[in-house]
Amino acid sequence: MKIDFVRSGGFAGLRLSVNVDIQTLPADQSAALAKLIRDSGFFNLPAQIKSPYGGADRFEYRLTISDAGRSHSVTVGEAAMPESLRPLIERLTEMAKSPR
Amino acid sequence: MNNHIDPLQCIIPPHMLKNIAEKGSDAQKRAALASLSASARIREQRTAFIRAMVIKVPAAIGVKHRSVYTANNGTYLPGVLMRDEGAPPSADVAVNEAYDGSGATYDLYMDIYQRNSLDGNGLRLNSTVHYDKNYDNAFWNGQQMVYGDGDGQLFNRFTISIDVIGHELTHGVTQYTSNLDYNNQPGALNESFSDIFGSLVKQRKLGQTADQADWLIGAELLTMNVRGVALRSMKAPGTAYNDPVLGKDPQPAHMKDYVTTLEDNGGVHINSGIPNHAFYVMAVEMGGFAWEKAGRIWYVAARDKFNSGTNFQSAANLTHQAAGELYGAGSLEQMAVAKGWSEVGITVGAQPEPQPQPQPNGCLAASIAALRALFGGK
Repeated sequence: MKIDFVRSGGFAGLRLSVNVDIQTLPADQSAALAKLIRDSGFFNLPAQIKSPYGGADRFEYRLTISDAGRSHSVTVGEAAMPESLRPLIERLTEMAKSPR
Repeated sequence: MNNHIDPLQCIIPPHMLKNIAEKGSDAQKRAALASLSASARIREQRTAFIRAMVIKVPAAIGVKHRSVYTANNGTYLPGVLMRDEGAPPSADVAVNEAYDGSGATYDLYMDIYQRNSLDGNGLRLNSTVHYDKNYDNAFWNGQQMVYGDGDGQLFNRFTISIDVIGHELTHGVTQYTSNLDYNNQPGALNESFSDIFGSLVKQRKLGQTADQADWLIGAELLTMNVRGVALRSMKAPGTAYNDPVLGKDPQPAHMKDYVTTLEDNGGVHINSGIPNHAFYVMAVEMGGFAWEKAGRIWYVAARDKFNSGTNFQSAANLTHQAAGELYGAGSLEQMAVAKGWSEVGITVGAQPEPQPQPQPNGCLAASIAALRALFGGK
C-alpha cells in the first residue's frame, strides 16, 4: 500500500509532504497505519471534503492511497475534517515533519 | 468553479419568512432564517447568515468589544475567557498580544477609514490563543481569530507578529465587504488584502512611512533555527526564506511566474505575492504613510467595487478607477496605481477575462433581498 500525503495552505502557505510505502515500514508501524486507514473508511470518502464556512488560513490536506489495483484521492480542508479521518491525518503529519 | 444554484425553495415566500424572522418566537426565527439562507445559498449570503448568529451589541461608533479566550491547547472554541474589553493585562503574553493587536487593527480601520469593526457595525472582536498543541498556524474561522503557539522549534507563537493579527482580522473585513472567493486569483487577492492591511497595522504602530517599512509579513514568527527573515516579503516576494526544512519562499513577484496549482486553494498564499508587490510599489511611489493614500484606494475599491470573483486584472482596473475618483483622473496617486500593477505585469484598463458569477433566480433574489433587509448591507 502506497500513501502520498500533502499538507498545504495555512497562514504560512508552507508545503509539507511525505510518501510512504507501507511495506517498507517496521511491522508494528505498518500495522498501526493500516488500522488508521481502515478505521477512517478512506476508500469510501468523497474526493472533496470542504466546509462552506471554511474561513481563511486553514490547512488543506490531499491524501492519495493506492493498494492492490485500486487508488483513491481525498482533498480535505482542516475545517471540515471528519473525526474518523483525523487520526490518520495527524499520524501522516507527524511522519511528514520527522527527519528522513 | 461550481455555480450550482439550488432549485426553488420558496413555497413560503421570502417576505413572509422575513416577517417571521423579525417577529416570531426564537424557534420560529431560527427556522425562518435557516429557510431564507438555504434559499440564498450563494456564498455572499452566508455572511448574512453568519452575522445572524452573532449577538448584536448596540454599536457606539469607536467603541471596541474585544474578548480573548484560551483553548488550553485543545481545539474547542472559543474556550475559556481570559481578558474582556477594558480588563487589565493578563499574565499570559499571548492573551495581551491578541488584545492589543486587535485594538490596533480596530483603530486603523476606525481612525483612517471610519469603519466600525469588521462588519462596519461594531462586531465583537473575539480571539482564541493556545489553540491545539504545537500548532504552527493562525486562522479566521468566519467568526473569530484563532492562534496557535507554534512548535517552538521553527515557529514562535502566532500572536507575536502584529501583522499576523491584522491579517486575520482583515479576513473578517473581506468577508463583510468584497467577500473575495478563497480560491485562485480572487483568493490570492483576498490573501493579499490581509497581508497589506496587516502590514499597515504594523507600520502605523511603528509610525513608519512606506520607505521606512520593511514590508515583511510574520518577521517575528521564525525562530533562530530558520534561515529566513519572515514568511513573506511584499518588497521582494520569493526572498523571505530559504531553509533546509521549510524550503524556499515560493512567491512570485510578477504574472509571468504565476503558480498554477491545485494545492492551497489554487495557491492563494503563493500568488498573493503579485498584488502584494503591486501595492508595495504604488505605496512607495505615493510616499508618506502607506495607509493614508494607497491603503485608502485599496480599501475603497474592495469595499465598493470588488466582488467575490474579482481577479487581478479587474482589481487593477478597479483600484485605478478608485484612485481617479479619490484623487482625480491623471493624479499622481492614480499614476502610482498604474505603475504598481505594471511592475507585476498587469496593465490597467485591459479587459479582464469573463468571470463566472452566480446568477440569482427570482426566488433567490427575493431571499437575498429579505436577508439584506433584516441584516443590512456593507
